[in-house]
Amino acid sequence: MTELTGKERVLKMFNKEAIDRMPCFSGQGAVTVQAIEKMGTQFAKIHNDAELMAGAALTSARMWNLDGLVVPFDMAAVAEAMGRGVSLYDGADGIIYPTVPNKWKDLDAIDIPADFMSKGRMPIIDDAFAILKKEAPDLAVGAWVLGPFTQAGQIMELDILLKGLKKKKDQIDAFLGRMTEITIDMCKHYEGLGVDFISVREMGSGTDLLSPRMWKTLIQPNLTRVFDAISIPSVNHICGSTDMIIEMMHECGADALSVDQKNNVVETRTKIGNDALILGNFDPYGTLTTLEDSSEVANVIKKCIDDGVDAVWPGCDIWPDVRKENMETFVATVREYGVKPSPAVKRI
Amino acid sequence: MATKEEILEELKEAVIEYEEDDCVEAARKVLDNPDLLTPMDGVLDGLAAGMEKVGELFDSHEYFVPEVLMCADALYAGLDVLRPHITLTETGPRASVVLGSVQGDVHDIGKNLVKMMFDIAGWEVHDLGRDVPLEDFVEKQLATGSDVLAMSAMMTTTMLGMKKVIAMVKEKNPDCLIMLGGAPLTRDVANLFGADGYAESAGNAVSEGIKMIGNLRKFEKGEVE
Repeated sequence: MTELTGKERVLKMFNKEAIDRMPCFSGQGAVTVQAIEKMGTQFAKIHNDAELMAGAALTSARMWNLDGLVVPFDMAAVAEAMGRGVSLYDGADGIIYPTVPNKWKDLDAIDIPADFMSKGRMPIIDDAFAILKKEAPDLAVGAWVLGPFTQAGQIMELDILLKGLKKKKDQIDAFLGRMTEITIDMCKHYEGLGVDFISVREMGSGTDLLSPRMWKTLIQPNLTRVFDAISIPSVNHICGSTDMIIEMMHECGADALSVDQKNNVVETRTKIGNDALILGNFDPYGTLTTLEDSSEVANVIKKCIDDGVDAVWPGCDIWPDVRKENMETFVATVREYGVKPSPAVKRI
Repeated sequence: MATKEEILEELKEAVIEYEEDDCVEAARKVLDNPDLLTPMDGVLDGLAAGMEKVGELFDSHEYFVPEVLMCADALYAGLDVLRPHITLTETGPRASVVLGSVQGDVHDIGKNLVKMMFDIAGWEVHDLGRDVPLEDFVEKQLATGSDVLAMSAMMTTTMLGMKKVIAMVKEKNPDCLIMLGGAPLTRDVANLFGADGYAESAGNAVSEGIKMIGNLRKFEKGEVE
């Protein structure tokens, strides 16, 4: 039997078909400084150039033997395309992700250009996907979008949005409905580009910020609409506290759930059963960057698998400045310890 | 005519129910009744006491961040009325704090909740805002000689800048207390960076900040040394 390619392994996992071992990939950013150095470029430059963006993702995936990759690496591209600007921090020391400097401060002022998907860096991201589809046919190429609520918080001031949830509920409902349509349009656009899976990152909606009741009325219906519209493998990712909303997350209809280290995966399994795909749930910075003993990294990864994930995903973007030994241990442990079946996916 | 207890209860309720107009009205009653209570009584036993109750509601998952933000708005509405009438002798010597969200971070909810705690306490607050270049923290701290430097980072990707600031400030001003806050932080990371205090998230900032308010009230009443 020939070995499965990374793409085959990932797609079979999403289909809950038997595979040889657990795939090792992420729907969050997985670009590392070692790859960026190998390319002879800088972190600040890989967000603004299709060749460098695709190259950084692909070099990282090849360097660490990952089964898939995603672009872009920052959350500011859509807001930038909607006219909110971007801070790229090209002159700053170290690694700083792009941010949105000019968010709308008033619901009434929001004016989203109809053609935003052709503005700013959006075409660069499209070009990066084209490069990756051509250069990495053996890897699963993933797209990600922010969920409607989180994207709303990227284009308008978050405190105004949060207070609006209580004070201007009808207006916020309508605004989130519009953001949902935009999220769906983007997912369909990336589907059209031939990506293999889409992760919808509604990361700002965990119960660190919102009540379960608010999640049920304001987040769940919109995410359900989004996942109803996606026809390729999809992931519902939320970082932060998710234990109180995990059943509702499951009801949204994504093919898989992705959670971070705050989620109790053992309890989640008892709540939503063994048939659901769960991805997660280690702390990327606390594991890959700060641990000085790589055997501890192995323990973290093994615990994720023992707790019942179907693929070990970082809870957030992998912080690029990983320790080489830790990244190697992460991948090796998934490959070796992930040979046994996971709750939702059997082995060949 | 309202009693002292009734006025304080109105302030508390206005904060808890996030009613800004009611809070302003109750604060004016404080000013209209100087024989019953001082503006500082209104701040500590009305507004701050209300916020303590908000903290309990937050801890018991009855309130979440949206409610707390609205309670904070109500508190500030009352504080804006009372603060101009608080004399320095009433609050004792004024301590000062420099605070902001570090460069690369445009989130400031946690920072603003911590700021509220300092505002209630009557500190001199130098708020640098968000996405603040690292050198600006150092410059402002050294220029003001503040007692505390408080930095917030909501994302893993920005918290590393804090370490550099701490090293630069501690080198020149070792007595300055440094507080860190933000979702990605752990106590271990804060210790590793050389910080003196830590709160892990906006939520935790609410709990921690409100506990500090509670301690402040006890201190002002002479209940703790």
